[in-house]
Amino acid sequence: MKKQVELVQGTLDMLILKAVSLGGLHGYGVLLRLQQLTGGRLRIQQGSLYPALYRLERQRLIASEWGESDNKRRAKFYTLTSSGRKRLKAEEEGWNRFSMVVACVLGAVPEGS
Amino acid sequence: MKISRRKKFESDMAAELGFHVEAYVEDLVRSGIDRKEAERRARLEFGAMEAAKDECRQAWGLQCMDELRADLRLTVRTVRRNPGFAAIAIFSLALGIGANAAIFGLADAVMLRQLPVRDPGELVFVETAGTAGRDGPPYPFFELLRDQARSYKAMAAFGASGMEIQIDSGREQAQGVWVSGNFYEMLGVAPVIGRTLAASDDQIPGKGGPGGAVAVISRAYWQRRFGGDPAVLGRTIQVFEHAVTIVGVMPPEIMSLDPGLPIDIAVPMTLADPAQLRSRDALWLAIVARLKPGVRMERARAESNALFQAYMADVRIPPEVHKLLFDRIELAPAAKGFGGLRTQFSQPLTAMTILAGLVLLAACVNVANLMLARATARQRDFAVRLAIGAGRGRLIRQTLTEALVLAGAGASLGILLARQGEAALAGFFAESNNPIVLDLSLNGHILLFTLTVAMLTGAAFGILPALQASRGDPAAGLQSGSRSIAGSRASVRIGQALVILQVALSTVLLAGAGLFVRSLRQLESVDLGFTREGILTMEVTPDRQLAGTPQWPATQDEILDRILGMPGVRSASWATTTPMSGRDRGALLEIPGLAARTENDKDIHLAAVSRRYFETFGIPLLLGRAFTPRDDANASKAAIVNQTAARFYFGDANPIGKKVRFANYPSHDLVYEIIGVVKDAKHDSLRERPSRFIYLPIPQSVDRINRLALAVRCTGDAIAFAGPVRQAIQSVRATVSASNVSTLEKQVRQSLSRERLVMALSIAFGALALALACIGLYGILAYAVTRRTNEIGIRMALGATQGKMVWLILREAMALAASGIVIGVPAVLALERIARALLYGVGPFDIPAFGCALMVLLACAALAGIVPARRAGRLDPMSALRCE
Repeated sequence: MKKQVELVQGTLDMLILKAVSLGGLHGYGVLLRLQQLTGGRLRIQQGSLYPALYRLERQRLIASEWGESDNKRRAKFYTLTSSGRKRLKAEEEGWNRFSMVVACVLGAVPEGS
Repeated sequence: MKISRRKKFESDMAAELGFHVEAYVEDLVRSGIDRKEAERRARLEFGAMEAAKDECRQAWGLQCMDELRADLRLTVRTVRRNPGFAAIAIFSLALGIGANAAIFGLADAVMLRQLPVRDPGELVFVETAGTAGRDGPPYPFFELLRDQARSYKAMAAFGASGMEIQIDSGREQAQGVWVSGNFYEMLGVAPVIGRTLAASDDQIPGKGGPGGAVAVISRAYWQRRFGGDPAVLGRTIQVFEHAVTIVGVMPPEIMSLDPGLPIDIAVPMTLADPAQLRSRDALWLAIVARLKPGVRMERARAESNALFQAYMADVRIPPEVHKLLFDRIELAPAAKGFGGLRTQFSQPLTAMTILAGLVLLAACVNVANLMLARATARQRDFAVRLAIGAGRGRLIRQTLTEALVLAGAGASLGILLARQGEAALAGFFAESNNPIVLDLSLNGHILLFTLTVAMLTGAAFGILPALQASRGDPAAGLQSGSRSIAGSRASVRIGQALVILQVALSTVLLAGAGLFVRSLRQLESVDLGFTREGILTMEVTPDRQLAGTPQWPATQDEILDRILGMPGVRSASWATTTPMSGRDRGALLEIPGLAARTENDKDIHLAAVSRRYFETFGIPLLLGRAFTPRDDANASKAAIVNQTAARFYFGDANPIGKKVRFANYPSHDLVYEIIGVVKDAKHDSLRERPSRFIYLPIPQSVDRINRLALAVRCTGDAIAFAGPVRQAIQSVRATVSASNVSTLEKQVRQSLSRERLVMALSIAFGALALALACIGLYGILAYAVTRRTNEIGIRMALGATQGKMVWLILREAMALAASGIVIGVPAVLALERIARALLYGVGPFDIPAFGCALMVLLACAALAGIVPARRAGRLDPMSALRCE
């Protein structure tokens, strides 16, 4: 089994936005897509997904609609709204900047070596 | 959020989470795992379902609602568990809030409310002004202004007047108002039934409209006189000499623009006395106008004033009168109608509002104290909640919710109590000699006020216990036994401070009540200058055929002779005004050879009276002679002045034989000789200082007299003579009508109605505050006994007597009461300064009033203390020592 990583605090929202941005999904689908994208290396408490979804919907970053799942069951589908798209872009840029800075620091080699 | 939407949220959430778990189970089963094992793993990996749901709710913002609901549920439960506490709290709040709502309702009706007319803010009164004050312009000027002024959209005139009505064959007096035809249309007042008056009803002088004379009546008159029968429309009645058809019924509160004045009937102006309509200097009506949009009041005033000065150019009146009454035009906002009622009641209402506020404060303090005591008892409960992770904010919110629920319940009950109080108040106003009709029905203002008061009250008394609750240290709260909780010194001290505050408030209210009682007693025992017992009064009006003719004075004489011949009648007389009747008239007195120092020096009250007037009222003649039948129209003109006038104009010189004239009447060249001096008598109010008075014989009056007041001095109950006297009048001439039958004693009493209202309310408020203070005092003392059971036990074991223990507790009661009194006294002095204008004959530190208040307070404090004190005395030392 591959080594799993814990979720960095505060990044779940961004990951959900990204997952939903690739096409409308229900909650379970978000989980599956995140696992697929990370190759199953990210550990997510399944129950914590929903409060995050509700919070994002409350902030009007995603919208929800009841529809039918692949196996013909009633499920709630989420799509990204335009303000969600903006937020995702901003978060991505922020994250990239952050990881770059962190990488710079961590990539430094001792002077004179 | 609505309940239904809330339910949908819950079911949606359950469905969504359920779908997740099931879909996961399906996937696991598909990958070859046994269904039971798959379900177990799905549940495990999902985590706590309810916690997730809760977090979802919180994310959705429902947490607040849920917590509120939980708080409310808990509150209801605690209230149910402590019905005594809740009952006392709610009841004291209801009394406090109810008192405020009732007084506010009164203030709203009298002071604040705008008239129920269309766009009241646009309305202005157009008034003539001078040094004597303001009045309405004469009718010809109204016509001129209406036709020529450009500042106004519309203009109407009205003038209240007693009217002689004949329905079928019954003749009676009604309170009427002459109105220009457009009056109600301009105000935008809709009739209750039928139609209102129209401009076309008021076109032809003496006739009304082309379709004949019409009138509208008030709903109150309709119900009183016609039994509310809709067939009243189209009915013809006689108003003075005109046959008038009733075409509509109007809401009573807006028959004229004089709030409180009950009007029975409104008749178009063109049917009024033609002489009055023509007169260029008669002041008998009021003008109300609607400003054009964008026109400022000052511009409208300037325009109207210019027209008025042009109008006055050819009006011949003495210059003094010109300056007094016809100097210029002023405008006044008319949104609330005439201010008479407001002026009359602004002071008492201010005082009452303050007193009611103090009562509410006392109620607040009481409930705060109760809640504090309970918070102390619940300290353990709170400590547990804190220990298991409740936020302090939650505890504060919980306590505040409780406070608001209590306040809300108190307010609901308070509104009911206020309704009762308002009914009593309305009755109080309606029963006086000049009845005041107030609309005290519940309205949005009052509800909003009560709601605000309830919220503020709840916050006020809730905040202290709430802070107290949150401050608790969970560890200490959990460890300590019942005794050390109860002994928390800070909360005891706060409780004592609150009780002292209650006593201070009661001191203020009781001493205030004492001052008002004393003040009323002083007024009642004031020297009137006339006899009040056994005098019947009524107003007598001749019919139009008789009025102004020489037969009218002859008829007066005949009536007087007939009444004087009745058994049981000691004396009787006519007069234009009688004391305490509310009627008055003024004159400008000129004394040849005596220069007036200021304009006001000429002012004097004038009354035309018949023979035996002074005898009837028991006003002693000090010098000279009284009027006799020989002082008739042909005799030389005679006048009698009162003591104050004699001293003012003639000093120590003998006034008899001095000559005077009246500047402000058409007959101003007539010279009157002073033939007598009488003692001063009160006229307008019992508070007034003696004012200057001059009396003339009716046949020699300065102008025409129609309506007269008849006074009959009888042996025994005066009102019993009303019927026979009326019969005597009508046996002389059937068309002479008598109205406003009363007794002088009653009028004197009614002149104090304002004072009596203030006194009754202040006593009620004082009693209320006292009761609240007693509850507070009892509570804190009973608690003290519980708290000190151990100590008392030790003292008794060491040989203290029962009496000593009783005294120990009583002493605490007295100390608390005394502290409150000491704080309260300066507040009383401050209040006394505000209420100065309402008081009469009581000094700034009235010993009887204060003494009584203090005695009552101390007695009640002792009473409140005696029960717990006796309990302390009866404690058995052994069990007291063992008590933990």
